[in-house]
Amino acid sequence: MKREEIIKGIKNKFKNDIIEVFDKSPARVYIEIKPESIVEIAQYVFKDLGARFNIASGVDLRNHMEILYHFLIEDINLLISLRVKLDKSKLEIDSLANIIEATNWIEREMWELLGITFKGHPDMRKLLLSDDWPKGVYPLRADYKEWDKKAIRDRGVK
Amino acid sequence: MSVKLKALLKSPWVFHLSTGSCNNCDIEILDCLTPRFDIERFGMLLASSIRHADVLLVTGSGNRKSMEIVKRLYEQMPKPGLVVAIGECAMSRGMFIHSYNCPVPIDKIIPVDVYIPGCPPKPEAIIAGVVKLIEKLNKRK
Repeated sequence: MKREEIIKGIKNKFKNDIIEVFDKSPARVYIEIKPESIVEIAQYVFKDLGARFNIASGVDLRNHMEILYHFLIEDINLLISLRVKLDKSKLEIDSLANIIEATNWIEREMWELLGITFKGHPDMRKLLLSDDWPKGVYPLRADYKEWDKKAIRDRGVK
Repeated sequence: MSVKLKALLKSPWVFHLSTGSCNNCDIEILDCLTPRFDIERFGMLLASSIRHADVLLVTGSGNRKSMEIVKRLYEQMPKPGLVVAIGECAMSRGMFIHSYNCPVPIDKIIPVDVYIPGCPPKPEAIIAGVVKLIEKLNKRK
């Protein structure tokens, strides 16, 4: 399948779920979708189009939390980034770990660093942070404040 | 100087520990072992276990998880032992000083004998640092 056919196919198949399609460059397309339809679209891109799941990335922006799921179709060198915008008051999205095994760890990482809840994740526990990290403190959020009273933040020289 | 320490200085066996570094200092340490620099001239040999080592080479800024490992390894090292902090991160955490995951520098966790600055330090600097430490201990007697 060619690049145009793939983008058109996604557009036609998920008319009601897609908010915006941003055709950035020959090798890259951003598709903004509704959070509740992520499982359906990811399954189509991963299983039917034969894309490889590259990585997902979460960003804390001013008005919303954003997750980008990057899928790469290698034979035509097209990177499809599914963009999901989450409301800061309700940070919840369905987990993809049951259909794409590779999303398991990155969802755990986003959960502990940004505090996004992934509903239906099979094994949600800490991945990177130490065990004594306090609950409800998310280090990669924009409003993160130092919580550790014992931390030393100078180099010992004046 | 104790007999043990004197015997140690003839041929110090080193153990290399990375506490979450960017691997650049680790590459320089491995470079010291290659024939070009050849730290075996000074009797230094890379030990595969901390229980066989006399010198602990620490690289990296040390995060919350690896600090526990550093502590445990230092306790397992046969005493008297020496600790060498290699690179800017092991000295003062470098650019990670405000990181949420690097609360304290390594020398607040374990006693450090030599600091070798650089990002990364050259193999010559590492060799010079360790040789200076040995000379200093020899003079103390």
